[in-house]
Amino acid sequence: MRKLLVLRPRRGFGRGAEQVSGRWFPWSALPWLPLTAVLAAFLIAGCGDRSSSPAAGTFTPKVPGVLTVATALIPTTGFWEGTPEHVTGGFEYELARDFARRFGLRSVHVEIEPFQRIVSGHLNGADMALALITPTDERKQHLDFSDAYLDAAPTVVTRTGTEIPDLATAQQLHWGALRGSTFVGIIRHLIAPDAPISIFPHDAQIEAALESGRIDAAVFDMPYAVAIARTSGGRLRATAQLPVDESIAAALPKGSGNVQAANSAIHALSADGTIDTLLRRWVGTSATDAESSIPLLRTEL
Amino acid sequence: MSVLPLAALSVKSPAGPAWEFLVLFLVVLIGPPLLERARLPGIVGLLIGGYLIGPNGLGAIGAGNTTIPELGQVGLLYLMFVAGVELDLALLRVHRRAVLSFGAITFTIPMALGAIVGISMSWSAAASLLLGSLLASHTLLTYPAVRGAGLASHPAVATAVGATVITDTASLVVLAAVSGTQVSGGSPSSIALQILVGLVVLAVFSLVLLPRLVRFAFRHLGTDRIVRYVSAVTSLLAAATVAQVMGIEGIVGAFFAGIGLNRLVPNEGPLMERIDFFGSAVFVPVFLVSVGMLLKPSVMVEAETLKLAGLFILASCGGKLLAVLASKRSLRMNRPEAILVLGLTMPQAAATLAATIVGYDIGLFDQSVVNAVLVLILISIVGATLLVQHTKSAVSTPVRRQDALGKRVLVALQDTAQAPIGFAIGAKVAAPDSGVVRALLYSFRTTAASMEQRLSELHRDGFALGIDVDPALLVHTSLAEGVIDAAAAEQPSLVLVGQRSAAAHPMLGGPGEAVAAATSVPVAILLGDAKRIEEVVLVRRDHAPETNGDQVAAVAAELASRVGGRGVTVRQADLSRSLSDVVPGQLWIAPADSGQVNAAFDPPAGAAMLLVLQPN
Repeated sequence: MRKLLVLRPRRGFGRGAEQVSGRWFPWSALPWLPLTAVLAAFLIAGCGDRSSSPAAGTFTPKVPGVLTVATALIPTTGFWEGTPEHVTGGFEYELARDFARRFGLRSVHVEIEPFQRIVSGHLNGADMALALITPTDERKQHLDFSDAYLDAAPTVVTRTGTEIPDLATAQQLHWGALRGSTFVGIIRHLIAPDAPISIFPHDAQIEAALESGRIDAAVFDMPYAVAIARTSGGRLRATAQLPVDESIAAALPKGSGNVQAANSAIHALSADGTIDTLLRRWVGTSATDAESSIPLLRTEL
Repeated sequence: MSVLPLAALSVKSPAGPAWEFLVLFLVVLIGPPLLERARLPGIVGLLIGGYLIGPNGLGAIGAGNTTIPELGQVGLLYLMFVAGVELDLALLRVHRRAVLSFGAITFTIPMALGAIVGISMSWSAAASLLLGSLLASHTLLTYPAVRGAGLASHPAVATAVGATVITDTASLVVLAAVSGTQVSGGSPSSIALQILVGLVVLAVFSLVLLPRLVRFAFRHLGTDRIVRYVSAVTSLLAAATVAQVMGIEGIVGAFFAGIGLNRLVPNEGPLMERIDFFGSAVFVPVFLVSVGMLLKPSVMVEAETLKLAGLFILASCGGKLLAVLASKRSLRMNRPEAILVLGLTMPQAAATLAATIVGYDIGLFDQSVVNAVLVLILISIVGATLLVQHTKSAVSTPVRRQDALGKRVLVALQDTAQAPIGFAIGAKVAAPDSGVVRALLYSFRTTAASMEQRLSELHRDGFALGIDVDPALLVHTSLAEGVIDAAAAEQPSLVLVGQRSAAAHPMLGGPGEAVAAATSVPVAILLGDAKRIEEVVLVRRDHAPETNGDQVAAVAAELASRVGGRGVTVRQADLSRSLSDVVPGQLWIAPADSGQVNAAFDPPAGAAMLLVLQPN
């Protein structure tokens, strides 16, 4: 009868040696197994595509094959370019397209909804809203939020030549802010200006009011502030940032099962540099180092 | 009587860094002992405490806080660094065959099972492979309990410990490959090339450059312990940065840095104590608390999470069990030994968590995977702790083998002028075994109070050689008896007894020989106070006049080889007739026995002699 297994004389544990051999199994090749596994990892992981898998959460769109995104205003400088009928680009639009690619969806459909309604939870049937939205406790009562895709300290924009060296100077200015935004409360509590704050329904109207001199200063999210300063032809300037930690995230309908998938997508696009690339392309190279280059306005006297 | 204006007092709700660090350290302080009272591992207390103070719990630390997660990231790097620096490379060498085969099996089986689990759930190839690799690694969380039972040198334990190097290195390389392919753009071949080049650069930096830089820093900057500790921390951060620059996860760099500094940071040395202390007190607990902050019980009890956790437990613990069963026969383990090895290789913690968090950060895993892995970690730790607790007493304690020659070198001196040469010899003997050099300065009771300055000199002399000799005063009525007592307490592997002048103490018949007569470890008498060793001369006797003479000669040859490297000059000579040939710059190493040397001989100024004696 054929002997299947031949073991060399063994002197196992406590006796000094661990020599093992067998005809039926290539024991001597064992140490190569981890190396083989590592090489396989290189090949298999490298050949696989980088779209999402169930491990990163499952995204179920309301309309099969289509990512429906709500936003407040088109154009919004640097973030949504073109017209509502024909969006040509912008940071958040391209981000939506990257989301769709990652979720394996074939297209992006854009819905326009006033900002005030979006933050009240009305997404007009969209899967998510991308509209420079800052997550707040109040908004979380009506919406679910993804992890942040941009840090966005509130930033003051003024006409070029208007300086804000200190809080006392800031209090003497005429301020403006978007209706329903967190900036109204921030100006009221941190700046406490002498004159009433002017409220506008759209960011574009705030820009126009700034340029025409109807208001002296307005607060925007930092990337947007950088974008409008860049496209103003030198008329506007991001003058100061305020000492508040804020960020921008995707808003999803309350109870949405897509939050984890959206989070994973944001992590992936952040890790592979996509978000930085989009920011540089659509908002400007200065947007990536704005946090260190725009001076901080001390708001405590 | 005036009324206190209490109404004017205002009390603010706590906020800011002081409050956040207060709740963090309260968790570190209270969490582990509470859970340990319930006979659960302390790590669970840190995870639960992290959840409680985090944004998903009581919210004492909000979601926007970046300080504690960033400190936690440093803790993770620290954890991997300590894993590398604590590895017993000598034990690894002794059991390398068993380590290689068991390491391969205990990595490959869970890796394959994990990948199969991922693929069966339609996960992407990258996510499946990462899952496999994180289930294949293990953390030696139960090792302290095993070591405490006196089983550290048991071959089964040594094999499991050594296998950790293979499983964790392979897992981290798979992690580097997967994250590289996900994060970098380009073709698979270019990504593979990028990672391979990155690994080569990292290996060269961590294993070749870093030890030299740190040795230089220890010698030239490391004149106090703070600088030495900061050098070690800087090293791990530097290696992590190099890894990140090359597109590899920082934890891989930290692990490599640990292996690179392994020999410079002896496990029993003061620097290792400090690294362990800060790691155990701050960095690692903060990391675990920061992980606890990710816990979401609502997600953990979801059917999907529990299903995932069940599959992970099956693949990981089942895979580790299969690996032990597959190796049990070939490694001749009995049942308790096999269970003990399973208890050592089953816990999933550091590398598993690190890979999972990386997978989450690069968008490969969602929160339910993270929570399922946390369930796996809890179950594997609790299960492994119970296995080790119930089997360690059933495994026979191994017969204590003679320590490697350089494991613990005790240098006993009467005269600080001998410190440079004594420590230089000690350092060179200890280096190959990642050993420690400990200095004792002999003093009479009456002069002890005035020795502080001389102890400081010893400290400086040690630091100048890049070692921390942690000198202590040996107060005794007799040098020989004092060293014998110290040797009994410290269990050295080699004792060097400094006798500066043969005129005062003859080479033989003095304290050194008395120590040799009373201890079972090699003893060498150091004569002379040479500042530099330019040549090592090994004296070989023409005959072996007494019993065990070969053993003494072997120790002398080993010492000469370690101190002089390849440039040892060998002389076949009768020692008593050749002593007049000693010239400055030389260190003579000779085996000796009673009667061979009876003259009161002092080497000339600038030369030294090491006379190796036969222990009792």
